[in-house]
Amino acid sequence: MSGGRPSPAALASVALLAALALLPLLIPPFWTANIFGRAFVYGIVAMSLTFLATYGGFVSLAQTMMGGVAGYVAAVLVPDSVPSLVGGVPYAAAIPVALLAATASGLLVGAVAVRTQGIYLLMITLALAVGFHLFAQANIAWFNGYEGIRNVVGPEVFGLPFRNTFVFYYAALGSAALLYALVLYVVRTPFGLVLQGIRDNPRRVSALGYDAALHRIAAFGLAGFIAGCGGLLVTFYNIGISPGSIGLGPTVNVLVMCVIGGLGHPIGAFVGALVFTLFDTFAADIYDRDRFNTLVGAVFLLIVLVSPDGVLGLAKRAVAPLRGRRRVGPAAGAAPNTGAPLAAEE
Amino acid sequence: MAGAEPAALRLEGVGRRFGALAAVGDVSLEVARGERRAVLGPNGAGKTTLFNLVCGDFPPTAGRVVLFGEDITRLKPHHRTRRGVGRTYQNSLLFNGLSVADNLVVAVRGAKPGRFGLRLPAAADRAAARRLAEAVRLSHLLGAEVSSLSHGQRRQLEVGMALACEPRLLMLDEPAAGLSPAERPELVKLLRALPRELTLLVIEHDMDVALPLADVVTVMKDGDVVVEGPPGRIEGDPVVQAIYLGHHGRAH
Repeated sequence: MSGGRPSPAALASVALLAALALLPLLIPPFWTANIFGRAFVYGIVAMSLTFLATYGGFVSLAQTMMGGVAGYVAAVLVPDSVPSLVGGVPYAAAIPVALLAATASGLLVGAVAVRTQGIYLLMITLALAVGFHLFAQANIAWFNGYEGIRNVVGPEVFGLPFRNTFVFYYAALGSAALLYALVLYVVRTPFGLVLQGIRDNPRRVSALGYDAALHRIAAFGLAGFIAGCGGLLVTFYNIGISPGSIGLGPTVNVLVMCVIGGLGHPIGAFVGALVFTLFDTFAADIYDRDRFNTLVGAVFLLIVLVSPDGVLGLAKRAVAPLRGRRRVGPAAGAAPNTGAPLAAEE
Repeated sequence: MAGAEPAALRLEGVGRRFGALAAVGDVSLEVARGERRAVLGPNGAGKTTLFNLVCGDFPPTAGRVVLFGEDITRLKPHHRTRRGVGRTYQNSLLFNGLSVADNLVVAVRGAKPGRFGLRLPAAADRAAARRLAEAVRLSHLLGAEVSSLSHGQRRQLEVGMALACEPRLLMLDEPAAGLSPAERPELVKLLRALPRELTLLVIEHDMDVALPLADVVTVMKDGDVVVEGPPGRIEGDPVVQAIYLGHHGRAH
C-alpha cells in the first residue's frame, strides 16, 4: 500500500533475517540445527495452517498430512533410501515431484472439505489426516508400514551434505523466509483479498462474481505446497519418515504451535514453533522425562489463558503503550484478524 | 441483443417454498430496461426472498427467471453476477477485516477475468476503487478498515460494491434501513444520481425514499404481488393503504 518506500514492518523483517543469518556464528551448532533449524522447518508447516486460518478462516488439521505426502513421495523416489522402493530418482527431480504431490493433496483436501466450516471442517481434515496416517502404517508396498523409510539424507549442496549443520540451517532459514514473504505477498493480491473476503463474508464473495468454492480449493492447494516444503525439510531433518511423524501427535503439535505463536500473522507460526521446540527439547531436562508433555501442556494452557492471541498478542500489547499514537486505517497486510476463528472452535 | 429488446428481468410464475411455507407464491413480473422499480410490502411479504431468487442464493421451486432474454433459473450466483446482476443486502455484507479500498478492489475484480490474480492489484483496479469511493462519498475513508465505519457509511459502501460489478440490473434491498434522519438524504441523493440506463429494483419500506425514485411500484403481500402501477396510483390504492396503515409507523 505504501508505494515505493519500504514500510517499517518490511525493514524489521530484513533486519530480523540478517540477524538470523549471522546467528550461527554466535551459538553452538546444537542450537543452530536442533533448535532454530528445527523451529524453521516445523514453522513452515505451521505457517501453512496460519495462512488458511488467518486469511481464509479455515482451521485445517491436515497440514501435517500434506507435509507427510511430500516427505513420503521424496523418500520413495530418492536414491539410497532404506528400503529402496523406487529409488534412483535424483533429488533435483524428486523434490519438485514431492512438492507437486503435496500441492495435489492440498487441493484434494480442499475439495473434499469445500462445503464445511468450523468444527466440521476440523473433523473432516482430522479424519483425512488420521486416515492417511493409518494407511501409511498399514501399507508395506509403498510406505514400508510401521517402520517407514530411513536414510533420506537430502540433497548435496555445493558438495556438502544436507546434514551439515550450516547447510541445513541456511536451507531452512532461506525456505522459511521465502515462503513467509510469499504468504505476505499473496494476501495482498486479488487472490488473497478474495480469500479474506471468503473469511469475512462468503455469500458476498459469490454475489460479486467469484466462485468461492474454487477459491477455497486453490487456497488449500497453496497451503499444501507450503506444508510440502516444510514436510520435505522435516523429512531431511529426521533423515527419514515414518507413520509416527505424521500421526495424531505431530498433527496436533502444528495446531499448538500456531496457537502459541498467535494466529494474527504468519510470523506467529515461527514464534510458536520456536517456543514449542525449546520446550520439547528442554522440558525433559527440567521436568520428568516421561511426563514432560505435562509441562508443554501447562505452558500451552497458560499462554492461551493469558493471551488468547498467543505470543504475538502479548508482544502487541506490550508494545502498544510504547508507541503512543496509532495511525488510523492500518495498511493492507497488517494483521486483520485475531485468533477468533480458532477460539470459536476450540 | 438489439431488435426485440427483451425485458431486463422477467419472472414467470416464480415461487419458492420452504417446507410448508410458500415464501414466494406465484410471482410473474416484467421489468423493462432502464426502468426503476420499487418493491413494497410488509415484513414477511417475500421481497427479500424474491431478490434471493433473482441473484441465485437458492433456486426457485417453481417458475423461470429470465435476465435480458436469457434463462438464468439454474445458474449459480457468481454466474448471474457475471451476466450483470448486482445487489446490496439489507444487513450490509461487507469484508470487515479489509480496508474500504480493498473491499472495492475485490468487488471491481469480481466480474472480470483474472479472478485468481497473483499479481498485486493493477493501478486500474485501484483507480476504479477510488472512483467508486467517490461515487458513494467515501473517498476520505479509503484506507479505513470496514469494521470502523458507521452504519450509514456501511450502507454507502454496500451500494459502491454492488456498482463495482458494473451491473445491468441493480437490486437494492432496503438501502435506507437503519439510517438516521441525517444519513437518509445522503443516500437518496446517491441513488438519484445513479445512471438512468441502469435497471433498478429497490425494496424499501420508506415511501418517502421509494416513491420519488420509482417509475413503477410493485406491492407484495404474503408472497404474492397484490398491486402494480405508477407511484401516483399506488399511493392512493386502498389495498396499499390497508397494508401500510398501522405498519407505516413501525417501518421507521
